[in-house]
Amino acid sequence: MKILIIEDEEGLRESIEEYFTGDGNVCETAATYPTALSKINMYRYDCILLDITLPGGSGMDILKTLKANNHPDGVLILSAKNSLDDRLDGLNLGADDYLVKPFHLSELKARVSAIIRRKTFDGSNLLLFNELTIDLLAKEVKVGSTLVKLTRKEYSLLLYFIANKGKVVSKNAIAEHLWGDGIDMANNFDFIYSHIKNLRKKLMEAGCRDYIQAAYGMGYKFTDQ
Amino acid sequence: MKLQTRYNYVNLATTIVVLLITGVIYYQAISWILTRQKDKDLKVEEQEVFEYVGLNHHLPQIFESNDQQITFTEAKPGSIQREFINTDYFKKWGKDDRHKNHRHKGAGEYESGRGLISSVTVGDKYYKILIVESKVETEDLIRLIFTITIGVILLLLLVLLITNRFILNRLWKPFYNIMKELRLFNIADSREIPKVTTAIDEFDELNLVVVDMAAKAKHDYKDLKTFTENASHELMTPIAVINSKLDTLIQTENFSERQSKLLNDLYSAVSRLNRLNQSLLLLVKIENRLLHERKQINLRALVEEMITQFEEIFHDKELKVTYQLEDKEIYASPYLTEVLLSNLISNAIRHNYKSGEIVIGLNAESLVVKNTGNDDELNGEKIFARFHKSSGSEGSGLGLTISKQICENFGFSLKYSFEGVYHTFRVEF
Repeated sequence: MKILIIEDEEGLRESIEEYFTGDGNVCETAATYPTALSKINMYRYDCILLDITLPGGSGMDILKTLKANNHPDGVLILSAKNSLDDRLDGLNLGADDYLVKPFHLSELKARVSAIIRRKTFDGSNLLLFNELTIDLLAKEVKVGSTLVKLTRKEYSLLLYFIANKGKVVSKNAIAEHLWGDGIDMANNFDFIYSHIKNLRKKLMEAGCRDYIQAAYGMGYKFTDQ
Repeated sequence: MKLQTRYNYVNLATTIVVLLITGVIYYQAISWILTRQKDKDLKVEEQEVFEYVGLNHHLPQIFESNDQQITFTEAKPGSIQREFINTDYFKKWGKDDRHKNHRHKGAGEYESGRGLISSVTVGDKYYKILIVESKVETEDLIRLIFTITIGVILLLLLVLLITNRFILNRLWKPFYNIMKELRLFNIADSREIPKVTTAIDEFDELNLVVVDMAAKAKHDYKDLKTFTENASHELMTPIAVINSKLDTLIQTENFSERQSKLLNDLYSAVSRLNRLNQSLLLLVKIENRLLHERKQINLRALVEEMITQFEEIFHDKELKVTYQLEDKEIYASPYLTEVLLSNLISNAIRHNYKSGEIVIGLNAESLVVKNTGNDDELNGEKIFARFHKSSGSEGSGLGLTISKQICENFGFSLKYSFEGVYHTFRVEF
């Protein structure tokens, strides 16, 4: 996957780049409006992470340029503005998703994976991970040929883990992904534990290897290593 | 009270008072003039008596007269002081008054009269003269003049009131037009208040001031919106950096237990900071009515969805949740309604004890969220203040402030009461 990160805040840009690089992903970055504009005109990306407020111009204009030239790149808007108008504007202009700062890198990764999956849709809706087969349309999970019945949250959790495979995902990030940040039950993530326990149990009962590891009491890691 | 009504009241009250005073003065004046006239008549009569006595040296014959009576009485010499008096005049019924005679006992009736007491000496005898004239005609005259005058004044007043009503209504029309414009004025929408020219300088000025004010308010509002957005951006970016750095840091592996504890604390602090910032911005937005999107919402469906969302958390705290929901539609912002419900339910969870109770009720009049918790009643005023927190609360201290603002925004009211063991929050539609 080739990803372009357009973000003027250095700290954020570097973190995103580091998190996304590896596992077959290539990342390029642009910190200003002109650099971003020249990059999108020269190269094609699977997904562009687009900050709205840039030195030298607005991210919205970059989006407009992309769409005007019929470029198929996926676009995810990163914005500090949690305003409905902006969100609607962005999505109306053809952005694929809209993520409000601050966000967890794991959430960003999950969103980007979803966009790329939709873009590279090649007739099959299947997401494969070793012996796991996930039918994204039917929302069905199979281990080999055994169907695993997951709840809505467990299914969402599994997709989240696969998108962030090999990474430690914090409990905070999981809670916000599953319940949204409207539910603020700070310091109380025991209920996440039961979801993960159930997911793990169901997968292993169907003959799946145990991919979910607890990571130092901070979070979980989905890995086949 | 309308200006016009008020004006009419004042007008009416002063007119009546002035009218009464004028009436009294008028009455006094006419009656003084007419009494003087009577007195002149009486003096003429007295003069006649004197002349008669001077010529004939005996008292004149007393004739019956319809409106005058003269009596002579012998008196002690020098005891009579000449004076005019108000007295009664005894009127005998005349022949043509026979019908009265039937109805009234007696030979006549007393009317008010004016009298002159004087004295005359005939030979060596000293007489007191009493001349009395009836004042009935005079009083009738006064009454008539008075009635006509009052009538004219009342008519004038009525005409004035009616014309005032029409003229004032017409005159005030531009004022009501300006008011209508002001009522339609919405700071967030692009419609301007139109400039209108009227024939009245004051209204022109008012219109001008209103137009200016509206433009200024819109300008300030825009500034504020920009400020809110900038503040959001400026704060969110560093928080986003911290958050992403933490996410990156935990990928570096091999943490000791102490380090992971520290990292966990950092995570929750950042997420609290983030929520606090979000809450503050939300509050600013609500207070400045920046969120004015409205939709028809099925509140019952939304509450049910919320309850499902919180299910794991209820379960985790072993809370017993009972609810009774009736259908209720409201016209409000879906986002804010969600925030309101989420705030009320999270509070009911946060301030509950393990295996406590939550009761949620919805009907056409109100939405009620009750929870068990601390045994002491909360201060119903303070809990809605910004950053008011119970000790040990993990919340931002803005939840209830936001909830109250949201309710006010939609014209609902949010009230707290302590019912038995339940802390009760009631949203009245």
